[in-house]
Amino acid sequence: MAANSRTLEIKVISAENLQLDRKPIKKNASVTVRTDTNSQFCTTEMDTEGGAYPRWNEKLVLDLPTHSMSFTVEVQCKTSSGVRTIGTATIPASDFVGGYLPEGYLHFLSYRLRNHKGERNGIINISVRMKVQEMYACASSTTWSHSTMGFPASGNSSFGGGVVTGVPVWYGAYQKNY
Amino acid sequence: MGNCFSNDAGAMSAVGGTAASHANPYDAPNDAVDLFLRSRGYNGLFSQIEISLAAVDLRDRDVLSKSDPMVVIYTKGRDGGLSELGRTEVVLNSLNPKWITKQNITYHFEVVQTLVFRVYDIDTQFHNSEVKMLKLEEQQFLGEATCVLSEIISKSDRLLTLNLEYREELGRPNPHRDCGKLIVHAEESFSSKTAIEMSLRCSDLEYKDLFSKSDPFLVISKVAESGITIPICKTEVIKNDLKPLWKPVYLNIQQVGSKDSPLIMECFNFNNNGKHDLIGKVQKSLADLEKLHDSRQGEHLFLPTAVGHDFHNKVLKSQLFVDKFTETVQHTFLDYLAGGCELNFMVAVDFTASNGNPRLPDSLHYIDPTGRPNAYQRAIIDVVEVLQFYDSDKRFPAWGFGARPIDGPVSHCFNLNGSSHHCEVEGIQGIMMAYASALQNVSLAGPTLFGPVITNAAFNASQSLANGGRKYFVLLIITDGVVTDLQETKDALVKASDLPLSILIVGVGGADFKEMEILDADKGERLESSTGRVASRDIVQFVPFRDVQSGEISVVQALLAELPAQFLTYMRSRDVKPIL
Repeated sequence: MAANSRTLEIKVISAENLQLDRKPIKKNASVTVRTDTNSQFCTTEMDTEGGAYPRWNEKLVLDLPTHSMSFTVEVQCKTSSGVRTIGTATIPASDFVGGYLPEGYLHFLSYRLRNHKGERNGIINISVRMKVQEMYACASSTTWSHSTMGFPASGNSSFGGGVVTGVPVWYGAYQKNY
Repeated sequence: MGNCFSNDAGAMSAVGGTAASHANPYDAPNDAVDLFLRSRGYNGLFSQIEISLAAVDLRDRDVLSKSDPMVVIYTKGRDGGLSELGRTEVVLNSLNPKWITKQNITYHFEVVQTLVFRVYDIDTQFHNSEVKMLKLEEQQFLGEATCVLSEIISKSDRLLTLNLEYREELGRPNPHRDCGKLIVHAEESFSSKTAIEMSLRCSDLEYKDLFSKSDPFLVISKVAESGITIPICKTEVIKNDLKPLWKPVYLNIQQVGSKDSPLIMECFNFNNNGKHDLIGKVQKSLADLEKLHDSRQGEHLFLPTAVGHDFHNKVLKSQLFVDKFTETVQHTFLDYLAGGCELNFMVAVDFTASNGNPRLPDSLHYIDPTGRPNAYQRAIIDVVEVLQFYDSDKRFPAWGFGARPIDGPVSHCFNLNGSSHHCEVEGIQGIMMAYASALQNVSLAGPTLFGPVITNAAFNASQSLANGGRKYFVLLIITDGVVTDLQETKDALVKASDLPLSILIVGVGGADFKEMEILDADKGERLESSTGRVASRDIVQFVPFRDVQSGEISVVQALLAELPAQFLTYMRSRDVKPIL
């Protein structure tokens, strides 16, 4: 079951109060999400209408290596003088992995963006969901045939009237869209 | 998620029909309050009222242009204190404004509800800010009017015209200053689940500006029973376009009345001086607009033009098209509760030393031998009495914080019932008994830290999610003082904002709770943790517990004010639907 990477579904929703040179930007903001090893990255389309409050609502898929501790989100703006970075945020894996939340949980996360000088420059809103791995059916025929040991079943020992063996199930598999 | 921000300067942005106001149910009539009151037999003694405001002949305070007015609405308590209900938007450059933002109030037949309206002229430098963030001391006061809600309701046309007064010194109104009149209109609002999304477009609009094309925007108004028109929403302004396609308009049937109610759609050309020229108008109901959409045809605008002494409706070449028309059902808070979602309440009580020595009568924790409840007991009874109505099993995890249990170090989250294994108590009685016994067994300490209690509540919520439950948790913190670990509290709140959890902080005693209001994002900016993460939704509500009679309707309203909206934001953002 050990995979060497996890698939993340990242929806880049919107950003707020983006500025360049202390002025709100006019348009053409886009977002790049990158793994911390820089092995993979994806970029959204440019937003042409929202100005300093762009909306993308775009889903990007990233394969995060298992040993990876975070991924970064970078907001850029295409200006007449080229593409400039507005700000970046680092999203630690602890914010969407581990804890007690079920694996397919849709996390809504927001982060403060900081520019290359380290100054605050806006907020980015995203949602992250780990894609749940396909589960192998644990209830193989060999397991069922052991159900006759233990309690004597009355009547026919077809497993319809016999004892049910509890099967450890990976709880993530049955999690509904929550 | 988040607030509705836009790049457009104040007057050019859309009001009333935006996606944000549609998804954000904070201003909707509160069905949670309705259900609670009905359960107590208050049937027919209250109704939800929607207030629309307009003004005429306002004072002109700006030198080169007219005033940019906004109204702040307050309710006046029995002690004379004012508490703010809401604010309208800012209308640019007008001495006769018609505000679009409506105020929802629960009208109680047997209670005298005094409303105070204050009109301000908003300085140009603030025009881009959110209305709720404006500091009133920095604006110019134009006038004030007071009335009692029943005065408006009892009139046949539900319309009341009030004279605005300007008080220069405290108390005496200056009778010689003519400050204009405020027109207040009240209408009964009802919850409707049907929401409509429309994409509207116009073609062949006329040139109204001298050197460029028109800058059109639409205003949609409804016609009230009395015949007056009330604006419901306006679109954003599109610059320099004679074939504008506006962003989708979202309307709830309750804003409109019914699908057959006549609506007036006026297309104006935006002017910076506030005098917008009418390009043309159309009168259609939502049902008519749906037919227009289905037939893919346009409707010609008409313009009332003067012909001699009469007004003649000149039919224009310009047309209005409905490119998109979708009807959706928006489930309400009660739908979710009936459809498998449960509310679970948790209680945390402040045992810090700032409450005072419990053995002395002036302490907030003093247990009076005559049986008179102290501030905490009153708060627990009054608040939990309302909230437990929504908790099906009435078993509440109950904690205390800020005290030293016997032979132990200070704990910032200990089980109120004294057990080391489980934290639940049964019903209000259970909380009261656990509270009384805890007082005997702990010594008050400090500091006031919310972090551990919030983290514990968040743990409960995430565990329940892991078990596949459809539960929504509400943590009630009853405290006397200002929190000491503000940043740690913010960190815990930011982490919890992604969980099915809301936090209701009730302040007892006479402390200044201004710092607590920072935690309620309604009154300020979004919370930010020390690691740079920002809260994805507002989950805190702060209520100062005043000396009111238990069960009084205003208490219920204050407590349940934000909970349904916070709950719905969580459910809707994750596309969770009630199982009906």
